[in-house]
Amino acid sequence: MAALEDPRPAVNGAAPHVSKKPKLSFITESELRDEFAHHQPGIARLNNGSFGSCPASIIAAQRRWQFRFLRQPDDFFFNQLQPQIIQSRTVIKDLINADHVDEVAIVDNATTAAAIVLQHVGWAFAEGRFQKGDAVVMLHCAFQAVKKSIEAYVTRAGGSVIVVHLPFPVSSNEEIIAEFRKGLARGKANGKKVRLAIIDHITSMPCVVIPACELVRICREEGVERVFVDAAHAIGNIHVDVKDIGADFYVSNLHKWFFCPPSVAFLYCRKSPVSPDLHHPVVSHEYGNGLAIESAWIGTRDYSSQLVIPEVLEFTRRFEGGLEGIRNRNHDKVVEMAQMLAKAWGTNLGSPPEMCPSMAMIGLPSKLGVLSDDDALKLRSHLRDHFLVEVPIHCEVPRDGETGAMDADGCMTGYVRISHQVYNILDEYIRLRDAIIQLAQNGVTWKTLQS
Amino acid sequence: MACPITATANSNSKSKQTLISPSEIQSEFSHHDPTVARVNNGSFGCCPASIIAAQHRHQLLFLRQPDHFYYNTLKPSILQTRLLIQNLINADHVDEVSIVDNATTAAAIVLQHAARAFTSSAFQPGDAVILLHYAYGAVKKSVHAYISRTGGHVIEVHLPFPVKSSSEIVSEFEKALRLGKANGRKIRLAIIDHITSMPCVIIPIIELVKMCRDEGVDRIFVDGAHAIGNVEIDVKSIGADFYTSNMHKWLFCPPSAAFLYCKMSDELSDLHHPVVSHEYGNGLAMESSWTGTRDNSAQLVLPEVMEFLNRFEGGLQGIMTRNHENVVEMAQMLVEAWGTELGAPPELCSSMAMVGMPACLGIKSGSDGLRLRKHLRECFKVEVPIYYREPLEGEVDPITGYARISHQVYNVAGDYCRLRDAVNTLVKEGLTCALLLK
Repeated sequence: MAALEDPRPAVNGAAPHVSKKPKLSFITESELRDEFAHHQPGIARLNNGSFGSCPASIIAAQRRWQFRFLRQPDDFFFNQLQPQIIQSRTVIKDLINADHVDEVAIVDNATTAAAIVLQHVGWAFAEGRFQKGDAVVMLHCAFQAVKKSIEAYVTRAGGSVIVVHLPFPVSSNEEIIAEFRKGLARGKANGKKVRLAIIDHITSMPCVVIPACELVRICREEGVERVFVDAAHAIGNIHVDVKDIGADFYVSNLHKWFFCPPSVAFLYCRKSPVSPDLHHPVVSHEYGNGLAIESAWIGTRDYSSQLVIPEVLEFTRRFEGGLEGIRNRNHDKVVEMAQMLAKAWGTNLGSPPEMCPSMAMIGLPSKLGVLSDDDALKLRSHLRDHFLVEVPIHCEVPRDGETGAMDADGCMTGYVRISHQVYNILDEYIRLRDAIIQLAQNGVTWKTLQS
Repeated sequence: MACPITATANSNSKSKQTLISPSEIQSEFSHHDPTVARVNNGSFGCCPASIIAAQHRHQLLFLRQPDHFYYNTLKPSILQTRLLIQNLINADHVDEVSIVDNATTAAAIVLQHAARAFTSSAFQPGDAVILLHYAYGAVKKSVHAYISRTGGHVIEVHLPFPVKSSSEIVSEFEKALRLGKANGRKIRLAIIDHITSMPCVIIPIIELVKMCRDEGVDRIFVDGAHAIGNVEIDVKSIGADFYTSNMHKWLFCPPSAAFLYCKMSDELSDLHHPVVSHEYGNGLAMESSWTGTRDNSAQLVLPEVMEFLNRFEGGLQGIMTRNHENVVEMAQMLVEAWGTELGAPPELCSSMAMVGMPACLGIKSGSDGLRLRKHLRECFKVEVPIYYREPLEGEVDPITGYARISHQVYNVAGDYCRLRDAVNTLVKEGLTCALLLK
């Protein structure tokens, strides 16, 4: 791994700093390959969405920070950590167009952010600010961790849950907006007070860009007290402007599409009277100093992944158009690949291109017979083990009364979610194409292959 | 100071010729700032270069193919760590062992559980939680955040310091327990340090746990943050319901990893990690093994750590014994040089000792202690935490400041000589903490 240098500082006290020399040219193809040379060769790695990716130069930067702590941890704790976290928070604040850096807390991941917001809701129930039966709204395809967090902190405390079902496959934003409006109204039918709505900015499975601004506006119109946008996938994937979106809470993972090492996320909390009441569940001596400060010290940890954010911003500037250029090219490429696959398989995209971020859902040939989540997982393992293709698979069984999307042979219930990140190449998508074609040949379902 | 490796027969049959040498030890810790007299292993611990390298290998395995790692490698690797810990601490079942980020997280888990009991009325308002006055700051805040907030009554037990013997500690605790139970108050949870942080003293934990049981305390949580790799831990002997310790302090793990032991009971299924993932409901160990995408690599290097320990004469036991002996020797050297005294007798010192600082330094508050610590760090490159002890009324020329010195395998006598000389210099120059303010 030529790109991984000895991270220990050569000179006593030398500070790793962000390079200030003017950029003469953009990153070259071979530099790009080097940056991701630690990825397992031979794998068609089409799943940046699940766990993200981190370039070698950022890993090296992370190690430099790690060694700064290990070298003299007390000095690091007393003198370096807090200012450096503020630097990271400031970079994020600018990226997402937040008003105040106080509104930006850095946490481990979106799952932690959900726990913070939902524990806050849990306290409100326990302390009588919310009444039993008051509701929390979520999308039916919310991330499983978020659903469980709602169970742990809301249902358990006596709150009720309104589940809004969004259509998939989907043809337009209008469909989503209409369904959301209906679902919300239905849920409120018994005069339930809706305390919180949790809306994905980009749903995970199936993957679709949600018209978050409109849905937040609808929530406000319908008297929903607070809105939490779960944008785990968003930053580095689509444009993020938290003032535009207008939510009370907004979280995104930085290790998915923003090249940070595992793991780091930001939780934006718009300044409001409840801000002082938001707490990190892991309580340290910083308790009561505001969520951002609490989150910056949750006991001894390796905070190095949170400290490389300035270096990551520099990394994105090595690409034409910076982060925006990366996003646009990822989107264009993934749509191109998706259309190539749909054509080869005789299927369709799960959503139109404008609702795809740097990921796309493509229907699998119906004859593969992916009829359950279990089938989807098994097919995914089969692709990994036998074809060295890594791609997550979603099963969408049509709801009662619906016929679902069809291909020439029947109902499409299986979808792959392909990602495109800067390291991906055409060959990887061709390998996926051919693997599926091979599995679907001769009317053989992958299940018979299994037995 | 005696050379850390002595040529005595040891029971480890193969390892005689593979014992680590002093220069190899220095090499393992060559990433430490060589200009610093680093006598504070207690705060943030340390990690040998070969373990950092192992951690990086695990990290790269994830980065290489994260999906494969997640589906096939992570769980078995964490299970390996849990099995090693189970063995180290003499737990009955591996289900009783969860790996968490640090003791602060473990405290949040136990205290959130108690908070639920208050809010669901399983506990009544005014039911008590008892903890030491010397409990770690984060634990006190956690008690405030979860217990005071839900109506629990908090009792702090003041322990003597300086302290002459464990029996002083036992009798103070007994008094506080009796007082706490006065008027029929129910004590729902006792939080007891195995080794207090500041001031640093080994607590007679077995007696205190037994006392709590005898007095009908519902549940006992031992905060052993400093314990593993420092003193022996036998969770069955100790008999607590919950026991936590940090593996990055004295067990050579990278930051950060800790274990939380929870004795099997019906209540065990209702313990939850506050960061809820799809594993919710599958038991604390499972919940803790996945709290969303993380870098779990610090939790996975325990097998390599075991190998590292075996490079030392007597393994972990040998390390603990020599650390203790060396720190006591160094502490006695310092009290003699400064004309002061130890805060606790050797048998209550672990691999750390509290050394009285010359009274003329005028340490009159916690802030003074911090300022003096900073001064020592910046002007003498000596890193040592300083504890402020409020003097009792009528004390003449009281010792109010104590340096908490640590000894870990990388320390050498010169580190403590530098501390000695730095303080002597300050005394000679007539420096006081009041002067530092200017």
